[in-house]
Amino acid sequence: MTEQEEKNAPVEEGSSGVISRRSLLVGLGGTAVLCGLGAVRYVAADPLVRPPGGQNEDQLVSACIHCEKCYEVCPRNVIAPAHIEDGIVNMRTPVMTFSSNWCDWCKEENGGDPLCVKVCPTQALQLPQGATPENTILGLANLDTDLCLAYRLIGCRFCYDACEYEAIELDENNRPYVINDKCNGCGACESVCVSMQNGSITAGANRRAIIVEPIQ
Amino acid sequence: MKSNKLRTIIPLLVMLVVAIGYVTAFGIGTISGFGWMDISLLCPLGSLLTLVASKMAVPRVLISLVVVVILILLFARAFCGWICPVPVVSKIRGIFGGKASNTDMEGQGALDPEAAMAATAAEKKKAAGDALTEEEKKALKGCSGSCTSCASKFQKLDSRHVILGGSLVSAAIFGFPVFCLICPIGLTLATILLVMRLFAFGDVTWSVVVVPVILILELLVFRKWCSKICPISALMSLIGKGNKTFVPTIDNSKCLETAKGRSCEICSQVCPQAINPRHPEAGMSFSECTKCRACVENCPTSAITMPFLPQKPTPMPSADDAAPEATA
Repeated sequence: MTEQEEKNAPVEEGSSGVISRRSLLVGLGGTAVLCGLGAVRYVAADPLVRPPGGQNEDQLVSACIHCEKCYEVCPRNVIAPAHIEDGIVNMRTPVMTFSSNWCDWCKEENGGDPLCVKVCPTQALQLPQGATPENTILGLANLDTDLCLAYRLIGCRFCYDACEYEAIELDENNRPYVINDKCNGCGACESVCVSMQNGSITAGANRRAIIVEPIQ
Repeated sequence: MKSNKLRTIIPLLVMLVVAIGYVTAFGIGTISGFGWMDISLLCPLGSLLTLVASKMAVPRVLISLVVVVILILLFARAFCGWICPVPVVSKIRGIFGGKASNTDMEGQGALDPEAAMAATAAEKKKAAGDALTEEEKKALKGCSGSCTSCASKFQKLDSRHVILGGSLVSAAIFGFPVFCLICPIGLTLATILLVMRLFAFGDVTWSVVVVPVILILELLVFRKWCSKICPISALMSLIGKGNKTFVPTIDNSKCLETAKGRSCEICSQVCPQAINPRHPEAGMSFSECTKCRACVENCPTSAITMPFLPQKPTPMPSADDAAPEATA
């Protein structure tokens, strides 16, 4: 039976009037593709530094519809869409980038109530009761002493000055080190680190000396 | 065509507004969640998928769903015809050598090839100025309502509806809105965002290549994405079954077929959704109507209007009135 004839043939009993066999097959094909794609959920993805309220990874991934509102409202532009390199399931979900600024929970702009959490329409970002900047850990600052200018005894202490949570202290040689228990991953240290700027770069460096890393 | 141009310009404007919103941090969001700061109108499919995936009844999502359902009841699939960027993006098919007109949002895209052929045949017949034969007239009169020979071609459900079910099932199984990953509306707006970020912040990522490539592949491979694949269109057509407003309505005293007994069928030929306003049973359901106004603007006698409220059908002119015109 040619395709033409098949189309002209009367619809068989049982399927008549509801859906044609061809449509059903196309639809099931699409469903199969979606289910295959859904399996990316189980492909191991590295943890990421999420905005405030995004610490429950399961909730964030299941509720985020990639509406882009959080990136848009962030007054300091520290929220960015995750890259495809961060995992397919994470692509276009919000992550923090502290290259030029850091997160103070919109203290100036919205009185300490993070705008990203406020605008998130699906509660992908949602702060638990009693959450404060101190007890909400976005990530952990990691200082690479090979890249840090202070460890070349240059006397740089920008990160120490920037930290509002007393999570960075100076040793006897005025070299900064991170107090892990006090660090909440706000990114202030990373945003001011000058180790990648002109005249400061250590040969071979491809990151700043202090960066906020996701909690493993 | 006035509406035709508008239907290209408005989606482009929407994309521009989204881009400006991103630059100015106004909190407008994208089409997935359009609004002002914490007030957002969410994509109805996105809302359903997150409800199913996260199993949280988020009040804002539920309120948005109710509002969107009301909008769909009022306007059926007008979103598809007037706001959705996908039909506009689909125009890139022209670049890849495809016939630009062969999309399902203009021309007779949703029609099967044979139905399109029949339509062309009818057009030729019309051009020749043929009057309907007595037999045809009789057939038209008899064809009121449930005519199985016509209806069988247009089933109640199609592949989109199965995919709609599939996207809900996949979201429930895997616990995240799977379809959102490949939604061409989302990918279009993501492309804009990623390109802007690439230039504004030097945010270099493979996403900026992968996202548009997936988008283009989807629209090139599935030329009839909107009428065969899109689960959002499926959802809107299901809810749109309750749509009673702005439905194309024919003034029988003006329509060539009823007033002069001549075959015309232009309204059904120009309908991108293969609706036949003259003989609704011979085409897709009115719930597919994108309110594109093609039938209104192409009707040679301006017999079609889209009134806000349904109107009583105008009386059919008697056969005696029609006969002399037809022979003249």
